[in-house]
Formats: sequence, structure tokens, C-alpha cells
Amino acid sequence: MKFPTEGNLRRVIAFVAALGIGVATYIAIADSGGGAPACLAGGGGCEAVANSSYSHIAGVNIAIFGIVGYAILLLTAFFVNDLARFAGFATALGGFGFSVYLTYLEIYTIEAICQWCVASAVLMTILFLLNATRLIGYAGTIPGQLQEER
Amino acid sequence: MSDRREREKRREQRLREESKVGSGERRARLLQMGAGAVFLAIVAVVVLIVVNSSGGGGDPSNLEGVAEIEAELEGIPQRGLVLGDPRAKVELVEYGDLQCPVCKQYADQILPQVIENQVENGQAKIAFRNFAILGPESETAAAAALAAGAQGRGWNYLELFYRNQGQEHSGYIDDDFLAAVAKGAGVENIADWEAERKSKKLTAEVAASFAEAERLGLTGTPSFAVQGPSTDGLQILGTPGSPEDLESAIEEAG
Repeated sequence: MKFPTEGNLRRVIAFVAALGIGVATYIAIADSGGGAPACLAGGGGCEAVANSSYSHIAGVNIAIFGIVGYAILLLTAFFVNDLARFAGFATALGGFGFSVYLTYLEIYTIEAICQWCVASAVLMTILFLLNATRLIGYAGTIPGQLQEER
Repeated sequence: MSDRREREKRREQRLREESKVGSGERRARLLQMGAGAVFLAIVAVVVLIVVNSSGGGGDPSNLEGVAEIEAELEGIPQRGLVLGDPRAKVELVEYGDLQCPVCKQYADQILPQVIENQVENGQAKIAFRNFAILGPESETAAAAALAAGAQGRGWNYLELFYRNQGQEHSGYIDDDFLAAVAKGAGVENIADWEAERKSKKLTAEVAASFAEAERLGLTGTPSFAVQGPSTDGLQILGTPGSPEDLESAIEEAG
């Protein structure tokens, strides 16, 4: 089996993390204002999810945590050392686990599906797989020697 | 360009090979840590889910705000789900859903000012019409409020329900919770209330107000409308964001 190069993995991780920042930022902005909020009938999954008590932790919208997580993942894609590999893996693992929990809440507790949250969960799953591949494939390679050009 | 890429690939290949031999220990340690982290993550998610599914729901015997709501509404006439002097010139209509958390915010933060400034002095009355958009539990709650309204405690019921509103669709709207709110709202004859809230008449009324809201083109809750001498029938306001917006709409309608 042909293993992807670390450079390619990093490029894809950076791209997906950037998409994730976009999605999480959209959710955070949509939640934080823009007219009076309302519970919409029909297809109002996002309103139900955003209005549920699970949408905030200690008063902070969970989308903000998402932005931070994706930003860390983006950052780790720019460094080639074990710290970055492990930090990327651990962050993606945390994000993935949290996404599993949130998706469980959407389906069984809130009983509403928000397509933006699903999009974020899918991106986080991809990032988890990519970072796991990166860690398994390249953990322990000598740091500092793969500073890629460009 | 392709040469450079080739070189880069070869170098990575070489480093990978080297890593397998030279940094074996470091690699093993990192992978162990990774596996440990995966284990911890699985445990954390399972614990979160178990804790979440075993908790939740409202405690029906421990309602908040019973006395406060009683004091707030004392002395204001009410009939059905209409609060205020029946002869008031202006009628503010709220289309709401008892499960809707935004409606709760309105009940807690926006409407009290309107009630104090314009309903208590007889300038306006507020009619709550059920627009149960969030499913069967909302319909059950809507009928319970109407049944309380039949005993002159409709607004106490609405406000007490909102004050103690739980997580939507979490199953807190059960017979115990509804009855606790009825008692807390001062519904005198609980047996009558029980029978009435399950009657076909009230189920039909909930469906009728839903149909009315849809006919008006409303899509969400809470939605407001106003009717008065200066309006041409029922004038839709949408979801005004502050008590002042509602107050000025009432002024203009009067």
C-alpha cells in the first residue's frame, strides 16, 4: 500500500481545518445575533439545536471551541515535528469525541439535526483520520529535517 | 519542479526508513500515548452519554416563581388566554409555543414590562394563541394552558410554565409536570382541568390556532400581531426584539 507523504497529509489537514474554521465561524456568527432569534417551524433543526442548553458551555457557544480546535489543527499542519503530530492527533481526537457526543445529543436528546453541525462533525472525523494517519506513519521521524519548501 | 518533488519524496522515504530504526523508541512511546488518548476519549464520551441519558427533566414538585408570578398578575383581569381589561382598545396577540426557549425569554424578559406599562392600566390586552410548532409535547402543553384558562388561570399557567421550562423534547412535559404547574398557577379544580385538557374540544382549539397562525403566514415563535382602532385588522409585527418595540406598536395601534 502506498502511504501518503507527510507533506500531502499536512496540506490536506490544513485545507480541511480551514474549511472547519469557516463552518464553525458561520455557526458562531449565526448564533450571536443578526435580528431577533426565533424558533422556526419545519426544517428548523439548527434553531432547535442552537436554542438548546447544549449549545453553550459556561456561556460560551460551542462553535467558539470548534474554531479554536480547528485553528490548532491548522497550526499543527505547519510544523513538522512530533509535538505537532501528537498535538494534531490529540486535538482531532478530542474534537472527534466531542462531535460524537454532540451528534448523539442531536439525535437522541434534542431530536433535531443541524446540517452545519453535521458538516463540522464530518470535517472533524476526516481530520481525526488524517492526523491518526500522520501520527502512525511519521511519529518518531527526526524533527527539523523535513522543513518543506514553499 | 518534478525533480525537486522527486527529491523531496526520496528524502521523506529515507527519513521514514531511518525513523523506523533510529527513533523506534520515541515512536513507540508516542503511539502508546496516542492509544492511551483514544482510550480516554472513548471513556469520556461514554461517560458523557450515560450521565446525559440518566439525568434531565424538570422536578415537578419544585417549581420556581410561583409567588412571584402570582404577585405580578394579581388584579389583572384574565379570560381564557387573554390578559387584561376585555374592553382595552388594543389587543396584542402572541403566537407562541410553550416548549420554545425564545418564547420563554420573551415571557421572562420582554412581556413583563409591556404588562406593567400597558396592560395593567387597561390600555391593551395580550392574547396568547398557541402555535405549537415543536411537536406533540407542545400540543399537550398548549391544551393544558387552555384548560387552565377555562378556570381563569391561563396566564398564570403560561408564565409558570415558561419560568420552569425544561429542555425541549427531553420528556419533562409529563402528567406530573403539567399538574404541578396547574396547582402552582392556582387552578382550583384539578380534576376538571385534567378532564378538560384531554378533551376533543381543546385539542381542536390547539389545531385551530395553529391553522390560524399558518394562514397568517407565520413561520416561527414567538410571533406577534396587534389590533386596534388604528390598524386595518390584525397587523403582523413579527418578532420585535425589545419591550419598547412592542410598546410603540401598541401606541400606534391605539
